[in-house]
Amino acid sequence: MGLLTVQGVVAGYSAADEILKGVDFTVDRGEMVAVIGPNGAGKSTLLKTIAGLLKPSRGSVTLKDAPIHGHPPREICRLGLAYVPQEHNVFPTMTVRENLEMGGYVDTKNVKSRIERVFERFPMLAQKRRLAARGLSGGERQILAMAMALMVEPTVMLLDEPSAGLSPIAAERLFESVVAINREGVSIAMVEQNAREALAIAGRAYILVDGRNHRTGDAKALAADPDIRRIFLGG
Amino acid sequence: MPPFVAEVAQLVLNGIMAGTILAVPAIGLTAIYAVLRFPNFALASHATVGAFAGYVANVQFGLPIVPSVMCAFLAAGLAGVVSDEYVLKPFRAAGFITTAIASIALTIGIENLIRFGFGNELRGYDLPLMRDWRFWGLRVGPQQVQNLGIAAVAMALLFAFLAFTRTGKAMRAVADNPMLAAIKGINADVVARLVSFVGMGLAGLGGMLIGLDTTIDPLTGFRAILNVFAAAVVGGLGSIPGAVIGALTVGIGEELCLLFLSPDYRSAVGFTAILLVLTLRPRGILGARAY
Repeated sequence: MGLLTVQGVVAGYSAADEILKGVDFTVDRGEMVAVIGPNGAGKSTLLKTIAGLLKPSRGSVTLKDAPIHGHPPREICRLGLAYVPQEHNVFPTMTVRENLEMGGYVDTKNVKSRIERVFERFPMLAQKRRLAARGLSGGERQILAMAMALMVEPTVMLLDEPSAGLSPIAAERLFESVVAINREGVSIAMVEQNAREALAIAGRAYILVDGRNHRTGDAKALAADPDIRRIFLGG
Repeated sequence: MPPFVAEVAQLVLNGIMAGTILAVPAIGLTAIYAVLRFPNFALASHATVGAFAGYVANVQFGLPIVPSVMCAFLAAGLAGVVSDEYVLKPFRAAGFITTAIASIALTIGIENLIRFGFGNELRGYDLPLMRDWRFWGLRVGPQQVQNLGIAAVAMALLFAFLAFTRTGKAMRAVADNPMLAAIKGINADVVARLVSFVGMGLAGLGGMLIGLDTTIDPLTGFRAILNVFAAAVVGGLGSIPGAVIGALTVGIGEELCLLFLSPDYRSAVGFTAILLVLTLRPRGILGARAY
C-alpha cells in the first residue's frame, strides 16, 4: 500500500453526476505524481475527493493505511494532507502573514517559527507579509497558496493546476518550488494542464480519461510514448 | 460662532452621536452577513431583547449602566445563538432569500414574546438627571457621551478581536473564502455560532444604547432596523469598517436634513441613502467583504 491510496473511487457532485467512475491512484512516500488528461476527465474531482470536499459513493481513500474517505476536510488536513485548490486558494482581504496563520490553523504549536521557515523559503512573501493577498500577482498568489499548505508540515500535498493562468516565467519558478518541496520529502500529487512540464518533473504519472484510469507509469516513459505525445502532449 | 455654523456644528455633533450608536448593530448585521451570507432581519428583535435585558439589569436589579450594557450584550448574544441554531440554520440550505424571510418571521415571534412578558408600554432606564454640557455654543448630554464611549469601546474591542486573535482571524477567513477555510481546518459551524453570538450581542448592546437615549418598548429594534440596514448597505454589506462609515453617513445625514426638512422626513434619509448607493455604487462605499 502506498502512503496515499485511492481504490475504485466513484464520486461526483451529485448521485446522478458521477465524474470519477472507479479510479485507482497511489502516491508513495517522497514521490511526485502527475495527473494529466483532457478537460472533464475528473482530475480535479480526484483531488477534491481525496481532500474530503467530495464524498465518494464507492471505493476507498486511505492515508498511511487509515481510511479517510468521508472525513471532513479539517480532519484530513490535521492528518498531514494539504490540498491547494486551483482557484480561490488564498484569503484575499487578509495579509500574507495572516494567510499563513490560517494555513496552519489546525496546528497551534510553534506558529511563529513555522511562519519564519516559510519566509526563509519564500523571501518574496516575507517582503510582502503585511500586504493583503488580493494585492499579489497571480504567481505570487500561487506561491502563497503553496506556502499556506506547507504551514501544516504536510506529508502529502495535492496541487490542483498550480500553473493555471501564470506567465511562462512565473510557471517555471513555481515548478522549481514544487520540485524543491518534493526533494525535502513531501509527497506531491499534482494535476496539471501543462502536461509536458508535469511529466518532466514527476516520477510517475496517471492519465485519466472520462473518469477512468487510462494509462499509468513512469512519467518519462509516458512522455516519450508516441501515442501519449500525439493525444495528450500535442505532438 | 455664527448662528448658522453653530446650528450645522450641533447637527453634525448629534449625527456623530447617533451614527456611532447605530454603527454597533450595523456591525452586527454586516458581520453576520459576511459569514452566513444572508441579511438576518431578526437583528431587530435581538436589539429589543438586549434593550429589555439591560432594563431588567438596570431597573429591576439596580445595576449601573455599564454592567447592564454587558447583560444586554450577553442576553442578545445567547438568544442569537439559540435562535440561529434552532430556527434559522435549518433554512440555510434553502437559500438566502428563504433564510432572510424566516428571519423576519423569527423577529416577529421574538418581538411578541417580549410583548407577552413586558406589555406594550414605554419604559425608561434608571438614569441620573444631569445637565447638558455646553461648549463653543454647542450642547451635549453626559449620557450621550457615555453612550458614545460605550459604542466606541465595543467597536474597538471587536476590531482588536478580529485583528489580533486566532478565532477572530478564523471568522474573517470564513467570511473571505468559506471553502478554503474548511480546507484549512476551520470549523464553519463554530464560527457561525460565534458570529451569531457577537453579531446579535452587538445588536442587543445597540438596542440598549438606543433605549438609553429615548425609551424602550417591544418595537425598539423594529424601528431601528431600517437605519441599521441602511448603514450596512451604504458602507458595503459585509464590510465592518463600511458599517461604521455607513452608520455615520446615515446618522449625520439624518441630522443635516433637518436644515431643510421637517423632522417628519428624517427617516427618509435612510431610504434615500440606500437608493443612492445602490444606484451609484452597488457594493457600498467600501465594497463588500472588506475587513
